[in-house]
Amino acid sequence: MSELLQDPFVQSSVLPLLVGLILVGALHLLRRPLAAAGIAAGFLVVFALVIGLPALPPPSSIGKLFWASAAGLLIGVVADVAGIRGRVASAVLAVWLAASLLWIALPALDSAAAIVSLVVLLGTAAWVAFARGSETQEGESPTAPAATLLALALAVGGTALIGSSASIAQMALALAASAGGFLLWNWPVERHGWGLSGRVATGIAVLLAAVLALFTQTQAAVLLLALPALFAGHVRRFIPLGDGLIGRAASSAAVTVVAVLPALVAIGAAFALTGGEASPY
Amino acid sequence: MKKTLFAAALFVATATGAVAPAFAAPVSYKIDPAHTAVAFIVNHVAFSNVIGRFNTVGGDVTFDKDAVEKSVVNVTIDTASVDTNHAKRDEHLRSPDFFNAKEFPKMTFKSTKIEKTGDKTGKLHGDLTMLGVTKPVVLDITFNKDGVSPASKLETAGFSARGTVKRTEFGMKYGAPAIGDDIQLLIEVEAVKS
Repeated sequence: MSELLQDPFVQSSVLPLLVGLILVGALHLLRRPLAAAGIAAGFLVVFALVIGLPALPPPSSIGKLFWASAAGLLIGVVADVAGIRGRVASAVLAVWLAASLLWIALPALDSAAAIVSLVVLLGTAAWVAFARGSETQEGESPTAPAATLLALALAVGGTALIGSSASIAQMALALAASAGGFLLWNWPVERHGWGLSGRVATGIAVLLAAVLALFTQTQAAVLLLALPALFAGHVRRFIPLGDGLIGRAASSAAVTVVAVLPALVAIGAAFALTGGEASPY
Repeated sequence: MKKTLFAAALFVATATGAVAPAFAAPVSYKIDPAHTAVAFIVNHVAFSNVIGRFNTVGGDVTFDKDAVEKSVVNVTIDTASVDTNHAKRDEHLRSPDFFNAKEFPKMTFKSTKIEKTGDKTGKLHGDLTMLGVTKPVVLDITFNKDGVSPASKLETAGFSARGTVKRTEFGMKYGAPAIGDDIQLLIEVEAVKS
């Protein structure tokens, strides 16, 4: 059993998918509006199981990633419980995400390229926090934002895997699998809201991209190719929603596929740039 | 009269350092990177042992031949210079999975104590700092030779050191224990009088 848990494939896909399914399910039963918090919670549980609980204060960017994500989850849950929405929720998200990015990035800002990377990451964070269509109210469709998260996390995970940054790859793929667990709970029938807890999970994908771009030699610029996934919420408007169960299920599946396409393009570009050779340890 | 002259000569010789062995002072040396190697051996999934090295090593040695226990060793290693003869693996070793070279570009060793165990052997105690974590380590050290090198014509001292550290104790947990936790160190140093 312990050998199974040490398998990188299990750690980055099967385990987080199961943890995500279980946590979203538990929150579905206990407090349905918080179900999306199961994604970030699943990510943190898998992080602790695979990498270990980082020291506090954290000595490295990976440790900062964990604690910033934990703080984001806490903020998201408190905001969702308190019913904070709209501009206030966006501002809270923006402050958390910008502060986390600066905290993680500060030791790496030793070149113009690093500063440009940080500016791009802050711009993406601002989009995640403020863009119209990135927030849905409880009862509205959670599929598009969850599909966006799935796509961004897949792009970071795939690029990291090709770029020989296995821990980041595993954690990003774990986040994608956890988002996949949430999507399964909401397919074919959409049951949950997205809320600030869900948007925090998208922010965690941006933090993972920051660690990858600033602390590894990976071709992280290819992640720009995955950014069209942020428009999944807009794409949904162009996909006709059938009234029946099958029509809604097909529409959700189509949105997810369309969102993931840019991620596959980014991974393909990373593969093409590096030759796709992975580290033999 | 002869006795008085001999005593005076002995006093002068001693005071000016001519009778070197009894009053040898510690001598400062700089590590010669061209003849210094810090290598490591790590088990790879029980199939084999991977051998690697760091290509950029610097530091200084204060060596007291007559009171070896008073000697001091300080070594600094650039973590980004890790080299296992495979570019992709070295890129991985520089990533946050292993040496996290961007955040922790230096690894340092500062000696704290030297115990003499034989004519030319001893235990070198020191603090190794890696990934921001400092832990005490003990290396078996052999003093090889000191004197004027026939190659460089410079005062040179040479040492060998061997030891083992557990990488997980420094927070380098990725892949352990499949990728060995125990890291064997093989260190060869030539230091030139500064």
